[in-house]
Amino acid sequence: MTKAAHLDRTIGLASILALLAPVPAIAGGIDAGTLIENTAQATYDNGSGPQTVDSNTVTVLVDELLDVSVASLDAGAVAAVPGSEVLTFEITNTGNGPEAYLLTADPSVPGNDFDTTIDGIAVDTNGNGVYDPGVDQILTGPETTAALDPDEALTVFVLVTVPATAVDTETSEVTLTASAVTGTGSPGTTFAGAGEGGSDAVVGSNGAQASANGSLLVGITTVSLVKSAVISDPFGGTSAVPGATITYTISAVVTGSGSVSGLVVTDAFPSGTTYVASSLTLAGSGLTDASGDDAGEANATGISVDLGTVAGGTTQDITFNVTIDE
Amino acid sequence: MFKIVFNTLVSIAALVGAAISVPAIAQEPLRLKGDVKAVKTVENDDGTTVTALVDPEVVVPGDRLVFSTYYSNTGSEPVENFIVTNPLPAAVKLADDADPALVVSVDGGASWGRLAELQVTGDDGATRAATAADVTHVRWTLAQIAPGAEGRLEYPAIIR
Repeated sequence: MTKAAHLDRTIGLASILALLAPVPAIAGGIDAGTLIENTAQATYDNGSGPQTVDSNTVTVLVDELLDVSVASLDAGAVAAVPGSEVLTFEITNTGNGPEAYLLTADPSVPGNDFDTTIDGIAVDTNGNGVYDPGVDQILTGPETTAALDPDEALTVFVLVTVPATAVDTETSEVTLTASAVTGTGSPGTTFAGAGEGGSDAVVGSNGAQASANGSLLVGITTVSLVKSAVISDPFGGTSAVPGATITYTISAVVTGSGSVSGLVVTDAFPSGTTYVASSLTLAGSGLTDASGDDAGEANATGISVDLGTVAGGTTQDITFNVTIDE
Repeated sequence: MFKIVFNTLVSIAALVGAAISVPAIAQEPLRLKGDVKAVKTVENDDGTTVTALVDPEVVVPGDRLVFSTYYSNTGSEPVENFIVTNPLPAAVKLADDADPALVVSVDGGASWGRLAELQVTGDDGATRAATAADVTHVRWTLAQIAPGAEGRLEYPAIIR
């Protein structure tokens, strides 16, 4: 080979290498199917001037690592009542090639006070992190995600039904497992030719499958109202005579481990009585009769007190006075 | 026109030549031969482990490779100022436990030194000590290779 042609060969090789670089560095590693090419070049002097020589190029094909992680995205145990509930998980492709995952949800976890029924697994189609019925796609069996790119994460929802037999403060867990569709097995298991770009697929350190638990905490809260009356007549007694004042007390008793929201207590005045203006109280403090300025209001027919969100284990007393008409 | 055609033919020949890894030219007194092995840890039945150099048939990110370059002076005259430069493929990084005496570059071959002597400038403009992951090239220098002498140069790398 002439020296000129030799130079051309060097340039051609440099061009090929330039096309392959740069390779982005990602958490899951270099993409499966990448060719690693190594060439050394030597310069030397053999007495007739500087010479250059290249080694042959050695090539290594990066194989596909099958790896996955699963995490619960719920901040803690999901507060639940009998009926439909949603557990939220995230599946992340921690391998280096596009991979789809088979999902299985197991409601029978040791230590459960009760087991839920799995109604389905849905994908967060609109990506808002919240299950939207009719929008987020419910997977049909076998419940398999679309292929996730390396490092891509997917939010999925496990839809469960809490049985009517569940009682307050009971807990239950559900295990979601994601398994690489290409295959699972002991780490290092190889599926020849099954990887990206004609590479082999290799089972990663976690066996190409991972799981996480989501948990439910049943909070059943009940509200009972207890109403009592005390009469004081104009003569210092307790007779229900015209002109006597009746003080009604309504106790809102909230029991259970959860809380109730939007609790509004209303009561109508008995016929034959007249409300004593400005006599409405909540927990010993006076409320105005006007609407909108505080939690309570009174009109010609009755009272209404908005208690808002009330935690279980608390009692709130409401009082008001009426007089028996002459 | 003729010249263009001729140039094209040369380019094609060059590409084909590169793809099939032409061995060093017979007339050249110095030959270079590249090789790569994967370092695999094999567990014996008794639970002990041994590392072995194997052909890199199945490799994934995190695996260790050893790139080697064999050289031999097949001529009758000594070769002097023998410098072998090896750009690191972008998909690998120099292993952290590579020979600290190895001469490397962290700037694409513009400047050279032992890794411990080199610094890099980050995106924020601050300089920091270079790490093995910053290395772009490795280089070996031999003052003289006698006729008939041969040897091997190698560096360990981790697939990114």
